[in-house]
Amino acid sequence: MTTAGGKGGDETWGDLLAAAQLGNGCAYRHFLIAVTPFVRALARRRIHGDDAIEDVVQETLLTIHRIRHTYDSGRPVEPWLAAIVGRRSIDVLRKSTRTRAREVHNPMAYETFADPAANMVEASESARTLARLMGGLPPRQKEALELTKLKELSLDEASAVSGQSVASLKVNVHRAIKRLRLETGKNLFE
Amino acid sequence: MTVRQTDALIEALSGDVTPVKRLAPPLSRALATLAGLALLGLVAILLLSNISPVTMRGAGGEMQAGLELAAALITGTLAVIAAFHVAIPGRSRGWLAVPLPALALWLGLSGLGCWRDLVRNGPSGWDLGHSMDCLAFIVATSLVLGAPLAWRLSRAAPIDPLPVALLGGLGIAALSAFLLQFFHPFAVTFLDLAVHIVSIGIVILLASLFRRPMLRPA
Repeated sequence: MTTAGGKGGDETWGDLLAAAQLGNGCAYRHFLIAVTPFVRALARRRIHGDDAIEDVVQETLLTIHRIRHTYDSGRPVEPWLAAIVGRRSIDVLRKSTRTRAREVHNPMAYETFADPAANMVEASESARTLARLMGGLPPRQKEALELTKLKELSLDEASAVSGQSVASLKVNVHRAIKRLRLETGKNLFE
Repeated sequence: MTVRQTDALIEALSGDVTPVKRLAPPLSRALATLAGLALLGLVAILLLSNISPVTMRGAGGEMQAGLELAAALITGTLAVIAAFHVAIPGRSRGWLAVPLPALALWLGLSGLGCWRDLVRNGPSGWDLGHSMDCLAFIVATSLVLGAPLAWRLSRAAPIDPLPVALLGGLGIAALSAFLLQFFHPFAVTFLDLAVHIVSIGIVILLASLFRRPMLRPA
């Protein structure tokens, strides 16, 4: 493998990059393979975490590809390369800082939404809470609420089932919701 | 991201590599750009100006006016040359300081000229002359000259565009101020000088704000 600044094998990095500028894909491949450990070592000095370091390496390779025309074949490659690595390291650091500032890592969120069974736990807890709250309601209010809000019957249907008039159902539903709101601080049936 | 992905990236990049036209050394690119800008300025002076800036100050002021002109020109030239250098990765950051001595000389000489006029003319040396016209001239000329400069600098797709924009902005503002001397019908007062400095600041600020669309960094 070619070493930084010196000759390794037959050609220096500068020779390989100059050949790549002329469209020599083989030389370019050798160049990129040869400089990658150097780039990774430079990135490791500035960045912590294997993923972030590899991000810098890949961003650097992409930048090399885009601005390979700016390399002057009469000059050493290392300062050119080190400047690109330095810049890309700063970019990756800034990006991760922004991400940390705006996003919260919550592994439970993935589990809750990805696994239906996980959602069931939360749903069953909510159902138990609601059952407990409704248990504290007067019987006619509880019945009116169950029929119209939980079983979603129309007022006429609920009236037929319960024997309460439509007007009475409306009043009992209203009172039940108001009472639950006072207990929980929120409207459960919005 | 993993090392395996990096290997795949190397294969992909080397697989579609095409020949690229290598950029000429920054000094030669800067000098070619300056020559183009000089041509533009010369045409503008020949067509639009009938003022000789050196004789405008009157007795005793010719030498100083000449030095001011030279300092502005040197500041602009060095800043443009420095901008082309810092646009290339790995070039010395020392280029950022290269135009500063000339800038200090230019501003110092301008201030000295203002002081002389103040002593010679009394309180009128504090008047605000046609400064707002000067501000408009410097900013507008900078926009005209700055467009080709930005285009030339963007060929390097500078990875860190801020220092390039700062130097380019300073260079183009100084060259515009140099050109202004050929259209300036009066000696500057302190307030005029302050407005000139503000104009240069505006140009540098604009260059910094619009550095990404102008320089298209990599």
